[in-house]
Amino acid sequence: MRPVDNINDLLKKLKLKASTVLDIRVHNDISKALAESDKTESAVTQPNIRRTIMKNSITKIAAAAVIIVLVVLGLFEFIGTENTSGVVWADVVSKVESSRGLIVRCTDLSPSSEDDYSITYTSPRYCRRDFYKDGQIIRTGYTDFTSSDTDTLIDVFHIHKLCSTTTYKKSEYGLFLEWKDDWTNPGFLVQKILSCKHSKLGQKTIEGVLCEGIETTDPAYLGPLPGEVNNLQVEFRLWVSAETGYPVQYESKMSGEHEGEVWESESVTDQFQWDVELDPGIFEPNIPPDYERITWPGIVEP
Amino acid sequence: MLEDKLLIWKFNRGDREALRSIYEKYKNDLVTLSAALLIDVSSAEDVVHDVFVSFIESSRKFRLTGSLKGYLATCVANNARNRNKAGRRRQNRQADVAMPDASRPDSAAIFGEELRRLSFALGQLPYEQREVLLLHSYSGMKFKAIAKQQNVSINTVQGRYRYATDKLRSMLNGEVDK
Repeated sequence: MRPVDNINDLLKKLKLKASTVLDIRVHNDISKALAESDKTESAVTQPNIRRTIMKNSITKIAAAAVIIVLVVLGLFEFIGTENTSGVVWADVVSKVESSRGLIVRCTDLSPSSEDDYSITYTSPRYCRRDFYKDGQIIRTGYTDFTSSDTDTLIDVFHIHKLCSTTTYKKSEYGLFLEWKDDWTNPGFLVQKILSCKHSKLGQKTIEGVLCEGIETTDPAYLGPLPGEVNNLQVEFRLWVSAETGYPVQYESKMSGEHEGEVWESESVTDQFQWDVELDPGIFEPNIPPDYERITWPGIVEP
Repeated sequence: MLEDKLLIWKFNRGDREALRSIYEKYKNDLVTLSAALLIDVSSAEDVVHDVFVSFIESSRKFRLTGSLKGYLATCVANNARNRNKAGRRRQNRQADVAMPDASRPDSAAIFGEELRRLSFALGQLPYEQREVLLLHSYSGMKFKAIAKQQNVSINTVQGRYRYATDKLRSMLNGEVDK
């Protein structure tokens, strides 16, 4: 038999289920505590949501990561580089530029991921992202890029019946300081990717589609990050159909350390549907009336 | 992470119903961690119960801003360590007391036959090494956080981890070779 090399993998196989007896004991204790608190309920000081959540700088980066995913997606819509054997990258730029709407699936492979996958609907000015877990939508994020100064992200947490609004000031917190130049400007975005070191990956068949890929591991690709990030490592790979010239798969891996905490992110984006006419109504935030609205200023100081 | 932050936020503002969500989310991981530390399922469930009772009791004054998973794993490890120490003291006083014995092969079947060798080998490790190994490799805690939890230097923690993995690998490979 093969010697045991990876103790970590083996330990992760350990899996026990809490017994029904334990479930009953704990839930009874929680019920008792709830009943007790109902009797003696006093005004509970509600912590400032921004203080609680946004004070932590790593959270700011994590929040920015939401934008990274959205923007990188947008960025690769307009990626351009020199010609290779099959794919004419300049044509890729023009094809995706003329795409009215885009639907993609994103699978977050990070250890801390809380969803199975997400489906993103993107138009040049809006984005909606539904996060799925066990076949149910657990969260919906609506992003509005229409303002010239800020991007607004509305997150609707269906399990918790909560809704949060975060506003990102493009000029101060955007990953690209040049966002003032409009992130939908393909010329700017093509320049951005071309300014980074990138390499060709050759051909590969993905889901029966012959693709050609390019890769960059240049952290400069991300542009300025919010705060100091050490040991930043990035890997971005884009695979484009040799036949249609449309992107087929995008792989992203990033890690870094910020204020002593390790930040990791890994995802695969696939199932691209290009040039889809999206109903504008899907970008209207749908917030049921019984959901509590929590607002934190986020990056934009009042 | 975002999910945890929302749960913590709800918990901190006095929403005790969030406790149910926290329990449901982490119960299996915590029972597994505790059982791997104590090599005993019954005691492991008692540990998790105790941890949540303390959590419930502290809900009014408690403010948590860090990692929820790390915090709960630390609570379980602290409780399991105290229980382990108390058990050893009792065994010393009363030789015939029926305490779970991590080194007994029949205790090692708690994770099923497939992982019997692993759990038996875990039971052979000194408790401190087993704790570091599980907190780091199973619960994903950083060495720095474990050092703080165990009140020892980070070098000590890394040394324990190295000894534990070497010993475990050697034991498991030895078993394989037989």
